[in-house]
Amino acid sequence: MYTLGIDIGSTACKCIILSDGKEIAGKGLYPLGTGTIGPKMVFESALKDAGLTREDIHTVLATGYGRFQFDGADSQKSEMTCHATGIHFLMPSARTIVDIGGQDIKALRLDAQGRLDNFVMNDKCAAGTGRFLDVMAGVLNVKTYELGPISDDAQSVVSISSTCTVFAESEVISLLSNNVRIPDLVAGIHASVAGRVAALVFRNGIVPDVTMSGGVALNHGMVRALSAELKTPITVHPLCQYAGALGAALIAYREATK
Amino acid sequence: MAEATPTPAPAKPKRPLPLSRQMVNAQTAKAYEDAWKAAEEGKPIGWSTAIFCQEICEVFDIPILYPENNCATLSARHIGDPYIAHAEGELAYPINICSYSRLNIGYADTLLKHPEQIPHEAPYLPRPTFLLLTNNSCTQLMKWYEQLSEMFDIPIFFMDTLFNYYEEEPKPHKIKYVRSQIENYIKNMEKFLGRKFDWEKFEEVQKISQENCRLFDEIVALNQRKPAPMSGFDLFNYMSCLVICRGKRSTTEIFKQLKKEVEEHIANNTSTFPAEEKYRVHWEGIACWPNLGYNLKTLKNYNVNAVMNGYVTAWDVLYNPGNMDEMAKAYQCSSTNSFSTPAIMDKRVASIKDYGCDGMLCHVNRSCKLMTFHIHVGREIVDEKAHVPVATFDGDQSDPRIFNEAQFETRLQGLVEIMKEKKEEEANG
Ligand code: SF4
Repeated sequence: MYTLGIDIGSTACKCIILSDGKEIAGKGLYPLGTGTIGPKMVFESALKDAGLTREDIHTVLATGYGRFQFDGADSQKSEMTCHATGIHFLMPSARTIVDIGGQDIKALRLDAQGRLDNFVMNDKCAAGTGRFLDVMAGVLNVKTYELGPISDDAQSVVSISSTCTVFAESEVISLLSNNVRIPDLVAGIHASVAGRVAALVFRNGIVPDVTMSGGVALNHGMVRALSAELKTPITVHPLCQYAGALGAALIAYREATK
Repeated sequence: MAEATPTPAPAKPKRPLPLSRQMVNAQTAKAYEDAWKAAEEGKPIGWSTAIFCQEICEVFDIPILYPENNCATLSARHIGDPYIAHAEGELAYPINICSYSRLNIGYADTLLKHPEQIPHEAPYLPRPTFLLLTNNSCTQLMKWYEQLSEMFDIPIFFMDTLFNYYEEEPKPHKIKYVRSQIENYIKNMEKFLGRKFDWEKFEEVQKISQENCRLFDEIVALNQRKPAPMSGFDLFNYMSCLVICRGKRSTTEIFKQLKKEVEEHIANNTSTFPAEEKYRVHWEGIACWPNLGYNLKTLKNYNVNAVMNGYVTAWDVLYNPGNMDEMAKAYQCSSTNSFSTPAIMDKRVASIKDYGCDGMLCHVNRSCKLMTFHIHVGREIVDEKAHVPVATFDGDQSDPRIFNEAQFETRLQGLVEIMKEKKEEEANG
């Protein structure tokens, strides 16, 4: 039986097709979020990747910010439950998950059985979110995914005092005009986000193992900065970006076989 | 469809309001009518902070209205925004102060400068001739009322209370301090009005007030039943009787009628909660008045009844009639804002257990810092002692710019999913 999980975020869509709740049969990613062609494109690309058609899919479950806007879903679940389920599948020992999404940050705590036990999310502010990193990458005229490798060359970490995205943007512009080294600046941007995120994670309590899910987890500079801030090692799975969609596909399978 | 996915309710014809609710509306309309009549006749009218010793003005038979309660009404009816905008714009008040104060100050200025724009009926407040102020729920009220006093050029009768951060019960000197102020306030009112205070009537009013508070407590406690006979949000409506008419017989009649209706629901196994109650949560904080309808609809879609909250009991000011020390103590402690975070959260933990709640939903209220700051540490206490999941969402009691529907729904859905898992786990042993 094939089940499909689709994670419709604010800036990207991810899709996973599972075979019998065990094997990943196909996946897709599209860098546009809800309200765009993103959901349709990612759905089709996952089917193509798996060599399947819509008729082959038994159940579709949507998650993410745009979960209620997607007509093709049989049901919807919150991002929190889906990320927890997806990560538990990929990394059974994980008990604390940090997800930096496009517009929110989640700190999830799992119980010993891998079930979501409690969660904390950011307040209505873009500081510390993926959007903050996107804006900063824009100012530096690089792609967001390039921030990690750039920060590898940092010799020091520039302090960025504003956490507000708008003010931090002008602060970074003025630092740039003072000829601050770009890798040091990027390390400073990561440290700024890490500071905000760590405050939230501490609020939920840290139980090891700690991991990150979502696309930002692929930015190793960000992972390094957060790990330093939390004073805890963070392990990241290569499929971290698909954790929400994977969790959705797993829950779809459980619902279908109940 | 998955259980934790909302089922949009089909549009139903509006049910007629129960008699008790019609009585609440009539009582509120009368309170405003009396105040507007007094204004037209040039008689005294007071504006008061929410938890003041209203028994005293009841004895003097002077209409009193309550700006905080009024702001809640204006916001729930979506007619408060222009006053907030006026306070922030022309009057240059910052967004960081409580939205009740912004709304009311904006309203007061409109009342002064453009009285012709204000209809002489509920929910509009007539111009006050004096102010009653106590800081038992926060200290920002003092600045707000000082501002009103200056704008209207009218006196403030102030009762200073002390917070109880380091003790469970106020120490004797604190009680003495508040009692002396109540007695002094009575003397000052006698001077201000040129009339003697009727101590016999005072005891009568105290008795009525106590009967009303006790009745309300009994009614609220009926929601401990599973499934609850009332939607928890109903309590927000009925508590207004204690806010504005605590010492009146009409409130007794309303509560007796309400109790009858609730008991009928219990006997018939029905409820005012408009869906099957699968989950029970404890609501923390003031309601998001501008979003009340959306919140209730979303809770209903997820079968979540917010059966109890830590806010509605702030007006059950309990003491033995005639005992001034007890009265002083009750007014000092009635808002849990005057206690430490562990003391408040211990009350919430007990209530979560009494009401059989599966989780807690906390309103991170941009306006009311005092209530909100407890939440972040408090959620850990609740998590540890009550073993229920806690979700927070951003909002504001009056300012509609803070709340976000998608955020509310996502957090509620996450909470429901955890509660569902836990229930299934319990059911499977
Ligand atoms: S800050 Fe809170 S306690 Fe103070 S007036 Fe506003 S709502 Fe009431």
